[in-house]
Amino acid sequence: MTSFLASIGYEHWILQVLLGLPLLGMPLILVFPRHMARWIALTVALTELVLGLGIWWAFDPSNPALQFVTDVDWIGRFGIGYRVGIDGLSVLMVLLSVIMMPLVVWGSWRGIDQKQRGFYTLLLALKTGMLGVFVSTDLFLFYFFWELLLIPMYFLIGIWGSNNRLYAATKFVIYTFVGSLLMLVAIVWMVWTVGKGTGTYSFAYEHLLEHAALMQPWAGWLFVAFALAFAVKVPLFPFHTWLPDAHTEAPTAGSVDLAVILLKMGTYGFLRFAIPFFPTFALSETVGLVMATLAVTGIVYAALVAMVQPDLKRLVAYSSVSHLGFVMLGIWGSTVESVQGAILVMVSHGLSTGALFFLIGMLYERRHTRNIADFGGLAKAAPLMAAAFTITAFSSIGLPGLNGFIGEFLVLIGAFGRYPVLVGVATTVVVFSAAYMLWATQRVFFNRMTNPLNEAIGDLTRRELAVLVPLILAMFWIGLYPGPLLRRTEGAARRYIEMVQPHLPAAAMQHPATGAGGSH
Amino acid sequence: MPVDLSTPVGALVALLPELVLTAWALVVLLVVAWRHRTARDSRFVGLLSIVGYVLALLATTWLAWRGAHADGLSQMIALDGFRFASDALLLWIAGAVAVLSLRWLERQGILAPEYYVLLMLATVGMMLLAGAADLITLFLGLEVMSISVYVLAGYDRTRRASAEAALKYFLIGSFATGFLLYGIALIYGATGQFNLTLIGAQFAATEPSLMAKLGMGLLLIGFGFKVAAVPFHAWAPDVYEGAPTPVTAYMASGVKAAAFLALARVLAEAFPAYVDLWRPIVWGLAIVTILVGNLVALAQTSIKRMLAYSAVAHAGYLFLALWAHSDEGTAAVLVYLLAYSVTTVAAFGILASIERAGARTVLITDLEGLYSVRPFASLGLSVCMLSLLGFPGTFGFIGKWYLISATLAQGEVVLAVVAMIGSGISIGYYLPIVLAMTLKPTRTRQAHQTIRFPRPAKLAVAICVVAILVLGIWPNTVLDFATQEAVQLRRIATPVMTR
Repeated sequence: MTSFLASIGYEHWILQVLLGLPLLGMPLILVFPRHMARWIALTVALTELVLGLGIWWAFDPSNPALQFVTDVDWIGRFGIGYRVGIDGLSVLMVLLSVIMMPLVVWGSWRGIDQKQRGFYTLLLALKTGMLGVFVSTDLFLFYFFWELLLIPMYFLIGIWGSNNRLYAATKFVIYTFVGSLLMLVAIVWMVWTVGKGTGTYSFAYEHLLEHAALMQPWAGWLFVAFALAFAVKVPLFPFHTWLPDAHTEAPTAGSVDLAVILLKMGTYGFLRFAIPFFPTFALSETVGLVMATLAVTGIVYAALVAMVQPDLKRLVAYSSVSHLGFVMLGIWGSTVESVQGAILVMVSHGLSTGALFFLIGMLYERRHTRNIADFGGLAKAAPLMAAAFTITAFSSIGLPGLNGFIGEFLVLIGAFGRYPVLVGVATTVVVFSAAYMLWATQRVFFNRMTNPLNEAIGDLTRRELAVLVPLILAMFWIGLYPGPLLRRTEGAARRYIEMVQPHLPAAAMQHPATGAGGSH
Repeated sequence: MPVDLSTPVGALVALLPELVLTAWALVVLLVVAWRHRTARDSRFVGLLSIVGYVLALLATTWLAWRGAHADGLSQMIALDGFRFASDALLLWIAGAVAVLSLRWLERQGILAPEYYVLLMLATVGMMLLAGAADLITLFLGLEVMSISVYVLAGYDRTRRASAEAALKYFLIGSFATGFLLYGIALIYGATGQFNLTLIGAQFAATEPSLMAKLGMGLLLIGFGFKVAAVPFHAWAPDVYEGAPTPVTAYMASGVKAAAFLALARVLAEAFPAYVDLWRPIVWGLAIVTILVGNLVALAQTSIKRMLAYSAVAHAGYLFLALWAHSDEGTAAVLVYLLAYSVTTVAAFGILASIERAGARTVLITDLEGLYSVRPFASLGLSVCMLSLLGFPGTFGFIGKWYLISATLAQGEVVLAVVAMIGSGISIGYYLPIVLAMTLKPTRTRQAHQTIRFPRPAKLAVAICVVAILVLGIWPNTVLDFATQEAVQLRRIATPVMTR
């Protein structure tokens, strides 16, 4: 497979094709008749999936550097280029978004019954933006995609969302836009500082990283500017309040894309930019403690809040805040295990939360409510759905044997060296998350069926199974055999740790990285 | 092509674009004397005036193409790339405004084709103002421009708001002119010169005197009024709201652009030696203007008023480029003004089509549900709002990025951060417009049925919107051009000064 891909020059065109195909699909959707819209979107999504899966083989896990690199001048006078490439940090996110794409289109097949053309056009635009964020290795390009994403998401929530959609859409855009404004200043400032020091004005990631030492005098301010943008997106407590609103009001496809991809952009930004650029400041004792504390506060607080949510979607949204807290904790744990764990949590949170949002969407299509109290005893009427929901809930809780467990476990072991107390606190949340998830499952699918409306609920259709089965298979696969995934992230995690290791405060040096976890 | 500006022929060649436009304006005025009764006459005159702008643009291009530059000292009028770029920018704006006015005037019942002549004369004034190499020319240009625009602002005679706008603009404008003139007098007193380059040379050689400092301060105040910088902005909202919409577009883009271009030239050529004196003033003006403009815009319900305050805020952003006092800064002035004027013209063009004849003003709530009736107009206005906001993918973003880039290159972070904070505030009033148009339902069944979008205006707006998007992604040509032209401003200013 690898040699075949190399023979067709796969690595030279794949990223361009992945970014470009959705853009090509957009005018097609607008031109063709309304009922064709979803078919065109599906065709584009499946083509992307087939082409994109090749990355799994073509990606060389032993090479920690950027691969699939393309570097073309864009605004050459200012050192801005179309520079893309992926490494172990981004490869799984790219694959995840490629895999999710057809599922999202399928998941919206029946739910979206008005303004279909607009919906699928925006969905494709969103896809290009999301992929662009993960593959761009030019800071100007990165910022470009980062902001551009807001527009499709704004309209997806604002037009196809539920009752309170305008409020949620506006809040989402304002939070993200305002959060990332200072990042632009930081980026330009970095380019000028490095440019003055080296004589080369360039927005290229590698160039800036190589000369990151030149930015040291302002590292604190620059880090804060980046961290603000990323923390809002993660979302790190206390910047999380937009998320429950956006998640709850968005249509299923929007919620899934938000949970699976958009939230990961924040943590990815920390791993890719904020920390490697300013490791001394970012990983210093104080900053590390603040970030880890915020992460753990988020983990605990969101889990507690999730327990009392009457709305299923809101409950899952708060569980996202909690899970993303684990990612942040793993990042600041700064060991190979914890960072790999963080990347793995990113992937498995995507799978389980994505599946949960799909399931909630399916429930909503049947009953037009998301209130937990309106359901009850559904397992009798829809056994398949109950089974899928239960498995997904278990995966979200982090039951061993399913995907959620491996990542969180690695994070907890890896971060224990630096933050024993905080890790101890975070561990207790496993109990809370089991509580809110299982309690919700029980109230929706088991208990006694009190509402006659629930009796007529149909079980999963074939289309819905096609959406859920791949996700559930992936959950089992990662849970039982995570080796291949870990192998692909290990190189990048190691490179990352080697990069930041010298900047860690002395206390953490006593726990040097020892292998990539015991799971393979 | 070296041009000796001290000979009559040389001066005529140097003034070619202005002369062409003036002559054409007089011809058009004669035509108006015979044909001024029907809507067709008005349209005909409008088209004639557009031909005038094209001719003047050709003259400018010819000068630029021949590489015209002053042989020796630039007397009265500058002859460099910066002036040609400014002229092209101003002519473009004026032409677009004339296109927007074509059917709009008739629909509003304004049948007086002298409108187009005034527009041309105002443009001549703006070109003189932006190209002035001499304080007297500068004053002349300013007055020609201002007096024409005073009349234009009150052109909708039947509406009280329009008359109020004209009177207010006239009173405050005259006041500002007084400041400016006093400043010129004091500078002349201190140096004995009117020529910008010679003034610069004198200042470089001598210690700053109180008289010169005062003169510079008064000059800055005068310009502050013209560009509507806080605290000299109080006239802007009322005047912008009351004036006929195409005239508002003209004031927001053209007048502001001309004043900024002139200010950039004056600061670069006459006051480079006083940079430590005027930089703190510009710094303060920038911060106050950005913050006040954006914050007050949040509270507006009328779109024209909101855009007036947004125009105030944008003047604040432009001060960043002046503060930079470098080639990048000058290039940023050009790029930002182009981005801003393209966007403003398109936005006001769409607003003008939405206005009902005789209606007082368009409120933000009036736009609700526009998308369902007029999808393209609402998408166009959304693109304009995003561009004004400085959203990536639009030309406005390129302009804003260039501004903060030029400021940061000089090691100034606070201004850049304040500009971005201002940008962050501004999403609070740009986004509601997008929201009202695209996400809210129409209020009544009859909503938006009265919209008339004349074809010429439609075409002009479409070109602007496409330009916003294309130049947002591919700004290379504009950036290269601006950088090339900007360098000339300082290259010419410097050698004479050191002589």
